[in-house]
Amino acid sequence: MCGIVGYLDKIGAEGGNVGSVLLGMLNALACRGPDSAGVALFGARQSGQLVAQVKLGDNGNGTARAGEVKIIAEKFGGREFTQTGAYLRFVFGETDDLKPFITGVEGAGRDVEVVSVGRRLEIVKQVGSPSRLEQTFGISEFHGKHGIGHTRLSTESVVDLSHSQPFWGHGYPDLAIVHNGHITNYHQLRRQYEQRGVRFYTENDSEVVAIFLADKLRQGADVHAAMESMIGELDGSFSCLVATDSAIGFVKDTFSFKPLVFAETDDFVAVATEEIAIRGAIKGDFTVREAQAKEVQVWRR
Amino acid sequence: MAGLQNSGIFAPRVIEEIQAKAESGLYSIRGFGTLRERRWATFDDLTFLPCSLTRIPLEGYREKCSTKTVLGTRFAKKPIELDIPVMITGMSWGALSLNAKVALAKGAAAAGSSNTTGDGGMLQAERENSRTLIYEVLPSRYGINIHHMRMADAIELTIGQGAKPGTGGLLLGSKISDRIAEQRDLPIGVDQRSPARHPDFLGPDDMIIKVEELREATDWQVPIFIKLGASRVYDDVKLAAKAGADVIVVDGMEGGTGASPAIFQEHTGLPTLAAVCEARCALQDIGLYGEVQLIIAGGIRDGVDAAKAIALGADACYIGTASLIALNCNKPIYEDDYRAIGAAPHACHHCHTGRCPVGITTQDPELMKRLDIEQGAERVRNLLQVMTLEIQMLARSCGKSDVHHLEPEDMAALTLEASAICGIPLVGTRKVFGR
Amino acid sequence: MAEIDAAGHTTREINAAIRQCIADSCKEITVRNPGARHNLAVAILDDAQIRLAGSAGYYCGGLIDGASIEIEGSAGWGVAESMLSGTVRVHGSAGSGAAAAIRGGTVVIHGDAAARLGVSMKGGRVIVAGNCGYMAGFMAQKGTLVVCGDVGEAFADSMYATVCYVGGKIANLGTDAVIAPMDPGEAERLDETLSAYLPAPLRDAKPAAADFKKVVAGRKLWNFDKREWRIWQEAL
Repeated sequence: MCGIVGYLDKIGAEGGNVGSVLLGMLNALACRGPDSAGVALFGARQSGQLVAQVKLGDNGNGTARAGEVKIIAEKFGGREFTQTGAYLRFVFGETDDLKPFITGVEGAGRDVEVVSVGRRLEIVKQVGSPSRLEQTFGISEFHGKHGIGHTRLSTESVVDLSHSQPFWGHGYPDLAIVHNGHITNYHQLRRQYEQRGVRFYTENDSEVVAIFLADKLRQGADVHAAMESMIGELDGSFSCLVATDSAIGFVKDTFSFKPLVFAETDDFVAVATEEIAIRGAIKGDFTVREAQAKEVQVWRR
Repeated sequence: MAGLQNSGIFAPRVIEEIQAKAESGLYSIRGFGTLRERRWATFDDLTFLPCSLTRIPLEGYREKCSTKTVLGTRFAKKPIELDIPVMITGMSWGALSLNAKVALAKGAAAAGSSNTTGDGGMLQAERENSRTLIYEVLPSRYGINIHHMRMADAIELTIGQGAKPGTGGLLLGSKISDRIAEQRDLPIGVDQRSPARHPDFLGPDDMIIKVEELREATDWQVPIFIKLGASRVYDDVKLAAKAGADVIVVDGMEGGTGASPAIFQEHTGLPTLAAVCEARCALQDIGLYGEVQLIIAGGIRDGVDAAKAIALGADACYIGTASLIALNCNKPIYEDDYRAIGAAPHACHHCHTGRCPVGITTQDPELMKRLDIEQGAERVRNLLQVMTLEIQMLARSCGKSDVHHLEPEDMAALTLEASAICGIPLVGTRKVFGR
Repeated sequence: MAEIDAAGHTTREINAAIRQCIADSCKEITVRNPGARHNLAVAILDDAQIRLAGSAGYYCGGLIDGASIEIEGSAGWGVAESMLSGTVRVHGSAGSGAAAAIRGGTVVIHGDAAARLGVSMKGGRVIVAGNCGYMAGFMAQKGTLVVCGDVGEAFADSMYATVCYVGGKIANLGTDAVIAPMDPGEAERLDETLSAYLPAPLRDAKPAAADFKKVVAGRKLWNFDKREWRIWQEAL
């Protein structure tokens, strides 16, 4: 159970202040979910390249592991390596098939995980509050036009690095989701995907939302249609934000179990679990309304 | 010739149930609680290890064994202070007669303990006759009234109850009298179905905000309890603690009900023994054991059950069914009237009919007269006092000068399941099984 | 008239300031910069008039008895929940569970309402000038629910004695909800209610009272009857 936030700057150039807006929104929601926090930020497009965020391990010092991952990543054209906390960030050569890259990098260790890959997308998430996330990663300095974020109160699964959100649509570049609610047919869906060879990295039901959408997009659906199909196929409660390299959107479940409000002006779109998050980060005279049951909206950059 | 044999699967009772469903087209609704023969680990699977050579027992009387119980110390300005660790749980006026509610209030007050309102709200007679009164905020919100909330000594936000976790309550038409209908804002005589969920919050993250609202409404003075039907106890207790509860109530599957679907009473929820162990683990794992108090409920029958629950981590116990039995529920009197509703003394769980032969779970004024308030109050007080004496005797025998000093290490498990569930060694082995 | 600046203050501090004003006999209060905080103006038992110059979060005006609350922005979940008497007016939109479990008083929403408008209401009246969402009037027991615009799915599901009026389209009716003809004089009374509670420009933009549809319980769920199995299958 958690707080989710999303923001799209409609008018700014590539260097918009999405990082500081999302941080402001997350801070306002922090009482909902002090256990972990994370963001999926979409920065300037890297031409011919993909940017990767790799988690080096679950227990603190990953510097030795970083060296091993670096060697593997270099085989894929990896360069500009920076290590922050448990994360290694780098760029590498654009490719249509991420499988060899993922298998290679994750082969460096049992708890090494490719957290995100995209032309724009970078996901960072960790245990602790949004302020701690800011301290580690300096989110407020991130420049870009859109992003989503999440702060978490753990319910049925463990509080640790891998169980935080946002989730990457693993294997599908630039797809990220945040989910407030609980998918009640998670185990059934998970077994179906695993039977098809999909790997799950956590016991967190929100992960299946990312996998579901990645699967739909790979089959050719557009983001709006993929989100609509969640309504019939995922059971339980969800207010979800979905982001791709060019779009951001929300979907609400059939019974409108989880809150989600949004505001749209000529300058921006802001979505959040509670209005207090929007008002806390964005000043101005605009109206906020709650999304309705089964409502899907997608905005493109 | 061999004797006639019943099927174990299609037992006589099952045959009757299937035929009743075929006749009526509705699932079975009844009162009381689970009727299944006990085949799971309960408090009966534990035994106390009193002092012998290694520890010194206390004598009665002069060597005091304190039973004082304080609840709500985490955030409330005015925690509640009780003389004993056994309290009366919330039961609705509607399910119960007015005389029953007043007798419970008086009996609890005389014993230095507390009473709880129930589905339908607070009765004036209840507030007047209670020493300490806990106000239940239920999903139905029947009779919800801010003035009554402010008259209460604690607020209990009820998510569910042990007999029927995950579903709402039922009060069948014959029990919706004029007065009940008025208090609940319902038409007279409807078969009332309570909602399963609260109308204005739907998850633990929203519940945090609801708890804050209740504190604002009562100026942060009184403790806020969160009551859970025992289901995913480990997760739920952690969430309730994170939501800011002062006290968490966990109500196990052996708990009672005035009327609900039989399948819920039999096949949902965790037994109370498992529930208290999960609840304590949950609080320990988030570092709040001792800071958030725990009340255990669900089939507590006597001081022994209460003492075992306290030893396993409870700060207090609620009784419901036991208190009604003290008021003559299932007593062999008015036996014709038991037969008239298809029951018999010791085999009556027909609360839902509204024709309780002893005047407890009825709105019929003639039946209610059979429950004399003063006599009823005395019987409830006696039960609470005897339960307290039983707890004290066991505690003294274990060398404790305070009943709250009872620990899991004061007991041994008689069965493998109890050893695994409670983390307590199995008798004769000095080993804990299943961990 | 007192002004309280909520900026930089907690809900608890703001509510304490409101109560202090009332205790000092100042009963007209404006709260600036409420920032959509939760639990503002809960349990106000005096006939104070409190205006929020901005948005409220959850449960604004919850548990009040006699107060008038006006929210210039939008309101979160459960606005006016469990109110005994008084008035709560929202100029913007309201979140889910607006007027949940109210026992009296009036809730007026100029914008739209989200899901479960008037859920479990036990008296009083709710008026929405705009549209409302899923399952409005769910398990509603008494009182009046008016929506001038369109209503979402499962409207008036499992109701007891609440009477609903809808000015726009009904996506679909909930279990045991039926459209009924108005009684003589009922349209006039509805018109009076709308004129009394909605500002004239807003009222005039809405349908004539006689064009509203009246929705009540069909009463088939009031007592179990095995012959009505299909309807009970939906409800149980």
